[in-house]
Amino acid sequence: MRDVSIVGVGMHPWGKFPEKTFVDLGVKAVGDALKDSGVPWKAIQAIGSGIYIWGGNAGHLSGQYLAAAFGETGIPIINVYNACATGAAAIRTAYMSIASGEVDVALAVGVDISPAGFLGAKSDDPKQDRDVLRWRMVGMPNPVYWAIECTKRMAKFGTTEEDLARVKVLLSQYGALNPNARYKKVYTLEEVLNSKMVSYPLRLYEICATSDGAAAVVLCASEKAAQYTSNSISISACTMGSAIYGDPTLRISALSAPSHAEAPLLSESYSASQQAYRIAGIGPEDVNVLELPDNSSWHYLQYLETCGFCGEGEAEKMLRDGETVIGGRVAVCPSGGFSSFGEAIGAQAVWQVVEAINQLRGQCGQRQVPNAKVAMAQTYGLMGNSATTIMKR
Amino acid sequence: MNPNQEESPYVFALPDLFEIADDGAQIKAARCNSCGTFFFPAYHEQHRPDCSRENVEQVLMSKVGKLAGYTTQYYMPPLPFKTEKDITPYSIGLIDFPEGIQIAGIIVGSEESELKIGQSFETTTYRLYQDDEGRDVLTWAFRLVK
Repeated sequence: MRDVSIVGVGMHPWGKFPEKTFVDLGVKAVGDALKDSGVPWKAIQAIGSGIYIWGGNAGHLSGQYLAAAFGETGIPIINVYNACATGAAAIRTAYMSIASGEVDVALAVGVDISPAGFLGAKSDDPKQDRDVLRWRMVGMPNPVYWAIECTKRMAKFGTTEEDLARVKVLLSQYGALNPNARYKKVYTLEEVLNSKMVSYPLRLYEICATSDGAAAVVLCASEKAAQYTSNSISISACTMGSAIYGDPTLRISALSAPSHAEAPLLSESYSASQQAYRIAGIGPEDVNVLELPDNSSWHYLQYLETCGFCGEGEAEKMLRDGETVIGGRVAVCPSGGFSSFGEAIGAQAVWQVVEAINQLRGQCGQRQVPNAKVAMAQTYGLMGNSATTIMKR
Repeated sequence: MNPNQEESPYVFALPDLFEIADDGAQIKAARCNSCGTFFFPAYHEQHRPDCSRENVEQVLMSKVGKLAGYTTQYYMPPLPFKTEKDITPYSIGLIDFPEGIQIAGIIVGSEESELKIGQSFETTTYRLYQDDEGRDVLTWAFRLVK
């Protein structure tokens, strides 16, 4: 396997853009990534593109639609879907094309325009699609799953409503400094605790919104990166994980979980991160910047444990002690996180990598993590799938 | 919430998920006698890796289990969740059954402030709405054992 580097990044800011199409958003992200990399469009030899699930046939062939805008060149274009890990799967597709030696330069892109409100079911056959059951029989939007895990955590470790609110307070300070964030207001603990309850114990400001956005990265064989830029960042690992039998998590879509754990909670993310640590020869103690999937305040706490940044039940203390702030032991979501951006399913995993690269390049101004050398982007994922990307300056 | 079956005709919101029992309801799950895995619904198979996947049988779950986790939902979800009217706030519980499987369902008859992990809940039914033919459309639900 050859070493692979990221030579350029680009994104469309996160928000709601009812006047725009997914192609509009994607063209902005890809165009900026190409410009940033110095790689001409015709030098791109493969594309991994995140499937935009709400976009019909066009969305399922998002890579083809984007390539048409730049000028079709006959290269392989692979469209992939792995829920929240979709963008990471697109990056991994591009990464593998280069690491295998097949091509030298590849592009990865993810785009999403979210429907308004709670995300709903996409089919109507319960025998095929578990998603139909949770909606029709119990009325379970995604935050219900996070809230149930959160009450389990509260009973087990004594997590308080204030701990949950503290996550938003911290992330809002970073989001306010990020020009690409959708939400830029700084919140106090009191404001968060007074926000509307959505799914007890999770309040409105403790759950990420659904947004529109796009992000793209240009990857290149490390040995050839200098041809295009002096600003390349190497990829130490680009892994994906799936769930392990016996995982006690009540997974989104499912209506049941085993009583007796035979695997870690969020085993798909545990698996992806453990693989990444092994391949990279890097452990959580070496990571300076962690972009984790803070879909809710529960995720923020749980992922610190799932990915080995602290022991079970220790995340609240890590947060309270200031170990997760910029300048602390590991800067967690210095981008402002999903809390400040909102999720854009097909795009967010690429965006997490873009934010990590900006930190490693030292381009983040007031929210720059001092001396950032190693960054990790970790995804969540529906139905037991997840991805980890570790990058090194 | 528990319909009087003698008087009111009913239909399940979706088939093959639970049965009406004398004093409530029982959830229909399945057990693989090769690897010991319980799964629900019975038509979404799950097995331990390398299981032969032979000897799967349908089973009716115990009626009573313990609350393992819960939430109260304050916003109505969109279709296909269908109820007669806005039922918020409604609680959803994850019930730990003695068979070794936890199952989620709507909680009836308890306020959020009464809920505590470890409490015993029994399986019952809940009327989501009445269909055009005047039948109660039912799902399974859980009620605190007093």
